Amino acid sequence: MATPIIAIDRLCKRYPLPDDKKQTFLAVNEVSLSIDAGEIFGILGPNGAGKTTTLEMLEGLNDIDSGTATIDGIDVGSSPFKIKEIIGVQLQANEYFDNLSLEELLVLFAALYNRSVDSGELLDKVNLRDKAKAKPDNLSGGQKQRFSIACALVNSPKVLFLDEPTTGLDPQAKRNLWDLVRELNAAGMTIVLTTHNMEEAEVLCQRIAIMDHGELIAQGTPQELIHAHAPEPPAAPMHGNLEDVFLVLTGHELRE
Amino acid sequence: MLTRLQLHLARVFLKIFLRDKQSIFFSLFFPIIFMSVFGFINNGEQEPVDIGVVNTSSGPVAEDFIQQLINDPLFNVTVGLESRLREQLEVGDQTMVLILPEQMNTSDSIDATSLRVLVDAAQVQQLGMIIPLLEQKLLAIEREFRDIEPLFTLTVEDVQARSQRYIDFLLPGLMAFTLMQLSIAGSGFNIVEYRRKGILKRLFVTPIQPKDFIAAIVMARTTIVLLQLSVLIAFAVFILDVRILGNFASFFLIVILGTFTFLNLGFCLGSVAKTQQAVMAVGNIIIFPQIFLSGVFYPIESMPELLQPIATVLPLSFVATAMRDIANEGASLLAVAPSLIGIVIWFITGFILATRLFVWKEVAN
Repeated sequence: MATPIIAIDRLCKRYPLPDDKKQTFLAVNEVSLSIDAGEIFGILGPNGAGKTTTLEMLEGLNDIDSGTATIDGIDVGSSPFKIKEIIGVQLQANEYFDNLSLEELLVLFAALYNRSVDSGELLDKVNLRDKAKAKPDNLSGGQKQRFSIACALVNSPKVLFLDEPTTGLDPQAKRNLWDLVRELNAAGMTIVLTTHNMEEAEVLCQRIAIMDHGELIAQGTPQELIHAHAPEPPAAPMHGNLEDVFLVLTGHELRE
Repeated sequence: MLTRLQLHLARVFLKIFLRDKQSIFFSLFFPIIFMSVFGFINNGEQEPVDIGVVNTSSGPVAEDFIQQLINDPLFNVTVGLESRLREQLEVGDQTMVLILPEQMNTSDSIDATSLRVLVDAAQVQQLGMIIPLLEQKLLAIEREFRDIEPLFTLTVEDVQARSQRYIDFLLPGLMAFTLMQLSIAGSGFNIVEYRRKGILKRLFVTPIQPKDFIAAIVMARTTIVLLQLSVLIAFAVFILDVRILGNFASFFLIVILGTFTFLNLGFCLGSVAKTQQAVMAVGNIIIFPQIFLSGVFYPIESMPELLQPIATVLPLSFVATAMRDIANEGASLLAVAPSLIGIVIWFITGFILATRLFVWKEVAN
């Protein structure tokens, strides 16, 4: 049995209602999860389900209102800076400082962790070595996402968080990114991603959780979930006519 | 203490700012054009001031005074009747009309002789420079009649020693203004831009502390401001022949303090204004009145009495005044202490506000 690296217990996040600031609503409502070391875990849900907010609480970007979360045994609420040392994060927005090349950005991000980094090697990993001198603005959507992942890898994180990594990518770029995620996972990295792409959840993730309206409504392997929640196959179509029904009801014996 | 990380970050920011060629160009372009207009077109000389003189006395003192005005290249003198000169003043042919009273011939009078000056209100910004010149002339005449008073003569010599051109007056103010714009844009506008792009959020998921980020931006921006102001000073000194009398170290100390102060105010601005449009609007509310009220283009003393107390305590006024006193009069740091204290108070206020308002998480989201 694998050991959990992320343990979330009854996590809650309240936001003021957009129309009435005095009222609040629960963006994340008592979410409990356990994610094993070395797995690719997907959080699924429609827009506004609370996926990003849940990730942001784990990443220390958002305060935890109630409940607890630990990553690798470290409490997120009380030691956010220790958490930041061991996680890598790719956010939905992936814009960077103007006027810096990919190479320079990687060196900068490494410096934020007080590390030095072999930017060439990292760019190799995400297949962007030939773009080392390019600016992020000149990259395609898929290249930008791969670069975001490279930035998230500068501190050799134990856990990598990817927020909707393939949204907006074309099929080739999407598959290319899945391969990258599998490679990183094969090397032992735990990966937590959000998506609303079912195919991605099914073929890429080893386990998934489904969220809606801030609540966790199901979790398990894709197979388990299909088994437990897929709709019953439709009943065999009816055949026969009213006479058959009449016969069934009144019997086949001849009457005199 | 500065950490290795802060220095590294500061270098990166410096690189980012220096590569933004366009903004560097435009932040130098405006002040240089401005200085050139006032430096070259007047060729460093004051355009002669059209002055009408009505002489109601016929004594030697008034004659002497008029002769002195005529001899001075700064004045273009027309002697005539009050009614005619008044008309000329109204249509703008004269900048001012000076009326010499009858008593002007009694040179040994104990009562001070009072000269009436008619001015066109539209020309009021020139008065700040003309009035002292007139006073200088009057003092010179007075000196001739009373040169038995050595102390008094000494004062007059002092006034003559710094014959000031407008460009001399303008340069320090213009530099203070440039410094303010660069600093407020460099902190406030940048923060909002970084937030909009999600860059702050991205930085916040790394273990960087807000103070490292802010220290790095402050260092990088201060370096940029010093470089840009040095270019302006070099241009003014070598091309426009502006003389800076004071100590450069004191001058740059004021520049650095001023930059820190406005960077802080910019951080407040960036924390309060959430969108690019808002930061522009609020930024203009801070910047615009100061252009006119802080004695950048004309002296605070020539402003309406009512505005003067407000104008004097504006942060740009303190910075501009201190820089001007040092540059034009060679004042020491001790001599500009009142302005220096004003700057420090603004700096501390800005710093407290900035640290209160700059909530890293909110700013990042």
